[in-house]
Amino acid sequence: MKVRFWGVRGSIPVPGRASSRYGGNTSCVEVRPRAAPPIIIDAGTGLRRLGKVLMEDRFRDGRGAASILISHTHWDHVQGLPFFAPLYRAGNRIQIFAQRRDTHLEAVFSQQHGAPYFPVPLSAMQAEMSFHALTEGGRFELGRATVTSTRLNHPSIALAYRIEVDGAVVVYCSDTAPFSDLLLGREFLIHPPPLDEPPAAHIATELASLRAGVVALAHGADLLIYDTQFTYEEYRQRPHWGHSHPDDALGVARDARVKRLCLFHHAPLRSDDENDAILARCRGAAARGGHRLEVLSAQEGLELALGDE
Amino acid sequence: MKIRFWGVRGSIPAPGPDTVRYGGNTACVSVHTRAGGLVIIDMGTGLMHLGNALVADGFGAGTGRATILLSHTHWDHIQGLGFFSPVFVAGNAFTVWGPGGSPELLETILEGQMDPNFSPLQTLKNFAATFDVKAIALGVPLVAEGVTITAREHPHGATTALAFRITEAGRTFVYASDVGQPTGAGPDPGAIAFYRDADVLLHDSTYRPSDQATRRNRGFSSYEDAAAAAVAARARRLVTFHYDQDYSDDDIDELVASCRQALDARGGAAIGLSPAREGDELEI
Repeated sequence: MKVRFWGVRGSIPVPGRASSRYGGNTSCVEVRPRAAPPIIIDAGTGLRRLGKVLMEDRFRDGRGAASILISHTHWDHVQGLPFFAPLYRAGNRIQIFAQRRDTHLEAVFSQQHGAPYFPVPLSAMQAEMSFHALTEGGRFELGRATVTSTRLNHPSIALAYRIEVDGAVVVYCSDTAPFSDLLLGREFLIHPPPLDEPPAAHIATELASLRAGVVALAHGADLLIYDTQFTYEEYRQRPHWGHSHPDDALGVARDARVKRLCLFHHAPLRSDDENDAILARCRGAAARGGHRLEVLSAQEGLELALGDE
Repeated sequence: MKIRFWGVRGSIPAPGPDTVRYGGNTACVSVHTRAGGLVIIDMGTGLMHLGNALVADGFGAGTGRATILLSHTHWDHIQGLGFFSPVFVAGNAFTVWGPGGSPELLETILEGQMDPNFSPLQTLKNFAATFDVKAIALGVPLVAEGVTITAREHPHGATTALAFRITEAGRTFVYASDVGQPTGAGPDPGAIAFYRDADVLLHDSTYRPSDQATRRNRGFSSYEDAAAAAVAARARRLVTFHYDQDYSDDDIDELVASCRQALDARGGAAIGLSPAREGDELEI
């Protein structure tokens, strides 16, 4: 399979010179099994350029099929969908998978399309669209690929995905906070609680169980893509935002015995030079810890080949 | 008035090495008035960067005040709001004047962006600053920040967008983004009267004419339309704005050069042309 990064940024797209090497588009990763339709993870603004490339081929003639796995529906993970050109061509088939919510998924996405926010309603899309609500821990097949998921630690809840195909495994864990301090769910935290005391026992137990789920999901992965929006110091200031840092990602990668860790969901105002420095520090920490894993940092346009070619 | 461009792009932010010169952020313009006030027009992703500049100022201490004018509520004109750091500082106060004729309806629309399905903020009520949403009355002058503001409704595809005329001490700035005549006819006389004698006319210039011809239903203008409006209204300076997300810096260079030719060909050789670029400032 091939894995290609189309959007690597968190929170909001950031055009500009300071970040154009890593890229300013929000989250979107393409997983392409050999001779099979693409499995796209998240629909941030990176999806627009992926859509343009797909339209050079079968999707242009309305013969394309793609699956989109949504980690959660926060803007930076869905805002590219209205600009995904294959949706505007009859005959294309697009399946969207996301966590089950109180509102039907199609209704959630309908809110994003159409008046008063966008000129084209979802119902006017020419492609055949289907919506599939997932429960935590759901497992399903997409062609030869097996997809499994588990819950992450993020406000309003996000799902991590494991895709196994062509003798390789890629795991996507974004967005999530570390599993050490706060359990994030439906509640809105305007101010972070102080982190100087450990969480209550029942919270600690639930966090440990979530972490065990993530470690199991990532077990033996060839590539683990992980939310490292924050540095450790930034995380301590904003633990309630639901994002992690490289030290925490290294811990999960080590426990899950993954081969490669990819830092992902870069903070919007993080410059290319700062991202270089974060990567160098994380590689240093991995080497000092004696981990036999490779660390890289996601950049727009980066493509990795995994497993059988 | 000091006009500054924070986002000049249409539809969706367009990051990438080929958009760094003009900028890839969506619509946001600030106007610092001579009277010392601040008017912000539209809340695209450029608003985040304006906000970060403002907190270094009185907005960091909670003493900031601004009037925000909203042309319409398509994503590219509101998507910066949740990332506008001054709204998270108690004491700051914002009044948003927007379309729709009903402040309740407009507030509900802005709330929709903060819906817990989409945003961790969950509701506008989590802002620490005062954030007052009002509906602007069309054609009725409003005095704020030491300037007089008038709004006019223009066709924008299947909907409408507001244009704003801002006057201070006899000088006039007109903001007319997201306007597109559905028939391809020139601008209507009412619009020309609204733009009349503007010192600076910022006009939608999303497309080159060839692209506009195939996408007329989207409700945007070409640089030709912008040039025609500037000449007919006898504007002193034209600002091109709201570039298509697929246009590279080189494409926009060409668009601007063609716009200059279009102005000259229509008898507008005396009209200045300033393409909107992120970070650029114009003083009237």
